[in-house]
Amino acid sequence: KKLTAEYFVLLLFSAEPWPENATLYQQLKGEQILLSDNAASLAVQAFLQMCNLPIKVVCRANAEYMSPSGKVPFIHVGNQVVSELGPIVQFVKAKGHSLSDGLDEVQKAEMKAYMELVNNMLLTAELYLQWCDEATVGEITHARYGSPYPWPLNHILAYQKQWEVKRKMKAIGWGKKTLDQVLEDVDQCCQALSQRLGTQPYFFNKQPTELDALVFGHLYTILTTQLTNDELSEKVKNYSNLLAFCRRIEQHYFEDRGKGRLS
Amino acid sequence: MAAPLELSCWGGGWGLPSVHSESLVVMAYAKFSGAPLKVNVIDNTWRGSRGDVPILTTEDNIVSQPAKILNFLRKQKYNADYELSAKQGADTLAYIALLEEKLLPAVLHTFWVESDNYFTVTKPWFASQIPFPLSLILPGRMSRGALNRILLTRGQPPLYHLREVEAQIYRDAKECLNLLSNRLGTSQFFFGNTPSTLDAYVFGFLAPLYKVRFPKIQLQEHLKQLSNLCRFCDDILSSYFRISLGDG
Repeated sequence: KKLTAEYFVLLLFSAEPWPENATLYQQLKGEQILLSDNAASLAVQAFLQMCNLPIKVVCRANAEYMSPSGKVPFIHVGNQVVSELGPIVQFVKAKGHSLSDGLDEVQKAEMKAYMELVNNMLLTAELYLQWCDEATVGEITHARYGSPYPWPLNHILAYQKQWEVKRKMKAIGWGKKTLDQVLEDVDQCCQALSQRLGTQPYFFNKQPTELDALVFGHLYTILTTQLTNDELSEKVKNYSNLLAFCRRIEQHYFEDRGKGRLS
Repeated sequence: MAAPLELSCWGGGWGLPSVHSESLVVMAYAKFSGAPLKVNVIDNTWRGSRGDVPILTTEDNIVSQPAKILNFLRKQKYNADYELSAKQGADTLAYIALLEEKLLPAVLHTFWVESDNYFTVTKPWFASQIPFPLSLILPGRMSRGALNRILLTRGQPPLYHLREVEAQIYRDAKECLNLLSNRLGTSQFFFGNTPSTLDAYVFGFLAPLYKVRFPKIQLQEHLKQLSNLCRFCDDILSSYFRISLGDG
């Protein structure tokens, strides 16, 4: 493995064990956080639970701005701050915890590919629904995103964010997609995940990996978030093994650990 | 299907039927699935060529974007994937996502953003394919589109610094190439003995990187070390494109 500067830094700090007061920051649960951010946060929480690493969830209205990369969630461990699932998985690995060490090279490639599929299709679809579907933007997103701020800041920030997301959608070729096409993409993605999961408990059979955490984060959030209609969650509900998968993880890694039901 | 299928796309060079990844994906898939395509190489001011190429035209349809074109061909019964299992079909989607997220930014950078490459190779080639004065405008627009895409998908807010992003995207691309090489192993194609959609995508993304002669070649060098991927590209070129190489 190439020893880049970041890896050296990680090595230096990894000597410290996981502290009891490790914290995860996200936006306010009830009034502010959006579908895509909630999914990302849940994925990280699930991952840490699967690694048996304790984490406390703290909600802050300005979590997005506190984050070093501008993306949520981020974790504060010791004196290190790391954001997003990918870097967090690397960070946790440097501290000696990994869920995917037992996989062979081909399986690791598959795992990475499926994680990209979730990012490429599910996450992008969530962002599209949140920021490019006028009905959702008007009824839900705009108000939630701007809720912590006074007028006119709430409108300005929401419009700015919407503009940023629309730019990105256009750059990756989603600018001209209709909602129906996006929902079809979601269905295609769910079908692929369902086929890959098959009758196994987790994607790589008996033990969950970061892929399971990521899929859980997105699917669970889609299933439990109230949107303008049920079209998105209906797409997931078509696949019974995915529903069972979510229930299994919720039960094993959240309820049984005394964390209570998730939403 | 009786209706003739016409594909308009960018032309070839350096031994390739097309130097444009997306065009190449469609051409390869058509060969694999036996779809009879009439290939119209761009040589005039094509109306939809603002990054919309490749475009498939039939009597009553116009389809753009490789994914949609391949879907359309499949509906017309030109299906290169019918022997795949459900899991292999799912794997195909996942690996394509991997290619688009991890490899494409660096390929775009190598062709369109790296100045030595862009000004000495890419821009002159594309400009030579289209008439003046579009030749002054379109390559620049494609280059800006590529840079935009890279920064918007990989740049970190609030400052979009290309320098930091560059190192990361090349690292990701090299890792992606390694993963592909591991996955391919010693097989002829990614799923057994017949080529499928995934093979078309991998070929489309890799072949231009492999064959086009660039001054700045770090990604190319890395690819050339993965001999099974090079062999994969060469095999497809010699088996499926030998006849049209003469016209390409």
